[in-house]
Amino acid sequence: MTDYKDKIQTSVTGDELSANIVTNDVARTFLAHRRGSPVILFILGLIFLGGVIAFASRAMDGFDSSHRAEWGYFAALFAFLLSAAGSAPLFAVAFRMTANHWRRPFARISELYAMVGLLTLACLIPLLVLLPPIGDCSTGPCRKTLWFTSEYWGVPTFWDFAGLLGLIVCGIALLLVSALPDIAQMSALSESKDRPLLGKLTKFWTGSQSQWHIHRISLSLLGGFYFILLIGVQTIINVDFVMSLVPGWKDSILPAHQALTGIQAGVASVVIIAFIARTFGGYKKYFPMESFWSISKILLALSLLWAYFWFAEVNTLWYGRMPVEQNILKLVMFESYRLPFALNFLMSFLLPFLILLWNPIRKSVLGPTVASILIVLGSFFMMIRLYVPAFGIQDVTAFQITYVPAAIYPNFIDLLMIAGGLSGAALIYLLSIRIIPILSLWEIKEGLLYQRVRPFLRGEYQVLGKPK
Amino acid sequence: MYEGKHLTNKRINDDLLSSLTKSSLVYWAIVGTLGLVVLAATVAVAFMINKGLGVTGLNRPVMWGFFITNFVFWIGISHAGVMLSAILRLSKAEWRRPATRAAEVLTIFSLMTAVLMPLIHSGRPWRLVYWVMFPYDFQRGIWMDIRSPLVWDPAAVNTYLTSSILFVFVALIPDIAIIRDRSSGIKKIVYSVLSLGWRGTTRQWKFQAIAGILLSALILPVFVSVHSIVSWDFGMAIAVKSWHSTIFAPYFVIGAVHSGVSGVVSVMIFMRWLFGWQNYVRHEHIDALGRLLLVIAIAWFYFLLMEFFFGIYGQEGDELATRHMQLLEPPWQWFFIVFIITAFLFPVPMWLFRRVRRNLWLMLITTISVNIGMWLERLLIIVPGLARKQVFSGTWYTYAPSAIEITIIGGTFAMVLMLFLLFAKIFPLIPLFDIKEGQVLQDKIKVGKIEVPAVIRED
Repeated sequence: MTDYKDKIQTSVTGDELSANIVTNDVARTFLAHRRGSPVILFILGLIFLGGVIAFASRAMDGFDSSHRAEWGYFAALFAFLLSAAGSAPLFAVAFRMTANHWRRPFARISELYAMVGLLTLACLIPLLVLLPPIGDCSTGPCRKTLWFTSEYWGVPTFWDFAGLLGLIVCGIALLLVSALPDIAQMSALSESKDRPLLGKLTKFWTGSQSQWHIHRISLSLLGGFYFILLIGVQTIINVDFVMSLVPGWKDSILPAHQALTGIQAGVASVVIIAFIARTFGGYKKYFPMESFWSISKILLALSLLWAYFWFAEVNTLWYGRMPVEQNILKLVMFESYRLPFALNFLMSFLLPFLILLWNPIRKSVLGPTVASILIVLGSFFMMIRLYVPAFGIQDVTAFQITYVPAAIYPNFIDLLMIAGGLSGAALIYLLSIRIIPILSLWEIKEGLLYQRVRPFLRGEYQVLGKPK
Repeated sequence: MYEGKHLTNKRINDDLLSSLTKSSLVYWAIVGTLGLVVLAATVAVAFMINKGLGVTGLNRPVMWGFFITNFVFWIGISHAGVMLSAILRLSKAEWRRPATRAAEVLTIFSLMTAVLMPLIHSGRPWRLVYWVMFPYDFQRGIWMDIRSPLVWDPAAVNTYLTSSILFVFVALIPDIAIIRDRSSGIKKIVYSVLSLGWRGTTRQWKFQAIAGILLSALILPVFVSVHSIVSWDFGMAIAVKSWHSTIFAPYFVIGAVHSGVSGVVSVMIFMRWLFGWQNYVRHEHIDALGRLLLVIAIAWFYFLLMEFFFGIYGQEGDELATRHMQLLEPPWQWFFIVFIITAFLFPVPMWLFRRVRRNLWLMLITTISVNIGMWLERLLIIVPGLARKQVFSGTWYTYAPSAIEITIIGGTFAMVLMLFLLFAKIFPLIPLFDIKEGQVLQDKIKVGKIEVPAVIRED
């Protein structure tokens, strides 16, 4: 009698898979990758080091709230990392909750982004130092914040830090819990010299029914917490580092818009890594075109949603013709930062929309990948057009801005810091996949149990099991 | 979906057309009672038109009261139709099947009711002719201001109403053909005309499916635009600070979906009870809708918090006065407490439990509770905002509805329900072909020793 592990399922694309084939494929590539790619790691490390040096050099020029304007691009980098990498794990959380089968190969790719959170947290610390004091409106000048007063302990710096720390801890816990069965399996298959680390991480995992039950509940709970924390952190970071630094800016949709942009960039980041894993990582059969097709519909919907949020913001602010709102629109969209805004609009909405509108393009691997690259870039330009002008305002306690400040352009140090930060993120991701397989083995194997190809009417169709 | 037993096509036809063929005493008693309430409301409207708006509680500065609250509420309920039908159809959610028609019909009747509210509120409904066709004032040649959201509003609502009717009609054609084949005399002629020569050929099914998908995709922007524009009726106004909020558009849309999907759940449970559709509206469908509601409610709550916090963020006098009125001044503070409990604190924790989501009574209570809360939410946005719009004014009038207004509002609820029930006498409220298609696509997969329900994917 054939064991279920050897039972071969043929997908609609013709690929033959069984639990054993999946395990062997992943183990082979995973163990090979753990030894490979040192050149890429070295190059990334070098650029990251350059970024650290640039950071140190900028810090020596002055590191307090009076030098805030010089740190705008660094703040944009931080916000970009928070948005794109911080939101990526939500992909696994959301589609695991809705029991979408096509999510399975993408789930671990998205969860691995949680590790980048360590770099995001490191970037937040200097920014907290640069935040100007809130002040006390009853005794002197003050700036408006969502915290309303500085009387409460730790407002806002401690709570910003604690929020982000909580998010990162939750994200890494989600990753480790999700990867536990796979790490245990890789530990069993790896050579003896690798066993101490992997074995220690997973020695208690035996794959019993109760462990799987706890595993499932833990993933649900951590996923729920992650979602709430992510939206909360995006909101307070946006208000503390953007809106409250621009006097008179009251824009209730902006935090939600940043959170949405993050989710859009998070999904896009997952697609980009999936494309790389498919093309260069030897995992082609695990990422069928159908999966990219499904994601492309979500990317299309998110692009439309991005445009809707943007229009809701602009329409309300523009229509009222209030001078302060006109100045803010001119600052972040139509005058000072019109170039990053134009690029943001093109890349977050217009180009992805025009690309993904066509079903033949959606139903391809390259189409959604190109759209994803544009979306990630678009989200970066959005952070530039929000954070750089906000950090450029000097008198944060004024009633409202009565002029449109000029744009601040990046210099070499800024570019080096940005390159370093992005390389650091890539470096952390690559180091993480040396410990944790990039494919969620248990989820793919579980998926095989629920998939069949059967004749129906005049053709063959995929039949998907929907367990309760 | 999966929990029901497999039924023959004849059985499905018989069961789902029973609302057309059989009439219980309970049904007519309900319709009759609702008809009386509608009649009372009609008399109230006539009285108000005769005497003028002075019979309402409206007065400066609160010129928008129950009528506009009710307008926003019914626009909100109408959002369920597209939410369930179009989005779930595009996402191929199997559990949508018994809910789509009821949701779409609810959309149409609630939109029709919503359109009535501004007309009644105007006090002189015949002036519609001026607004639509001629200058607002002949003497001075004043045309309506097309830059005003108040003009965008009827355009959006009417587009939505037209496309919703088309959407329902396209989905109804195969079912109308079945009724045609079962009827005789004048009824047969009417249904023959309505079925547009439907014979169920492969070509016709293909066109019907394509039309359904295209309409689903095309109606989505309309659906979003309608409530966004309704929100801009408020949000564009800088005179009322608490309304001038950039989040209003998505906040209104998500609130509408929250309220609308709750309305659909209430109606489905009511239908199941009234027509005995236990095989079609099953616990699993209500469970799935409950899970959807959970997500929607949490998203809505986030937007509510944003709207509220940014209301006081600016610390401006009129904003603070509005919030003060909402939270600390009776009776508005009681309305606020009831609103927050009924729209969120009571139903949402309950929906977390599968046992609650599968209990029809509890789901009925919680979904009705949501709509009580959502109605109050609109009232709390409109009245305190207007009452406190002038911070230095010494005449802070507060609004109290008159009996006339209450009667008219009660009449709108009765009217929607009555039209819904009358619709069930003419067309099936659950799409027959959709249920049959769902059964064809059902399958089972054996995993180890157990059988797991499965579905055949068409693409």
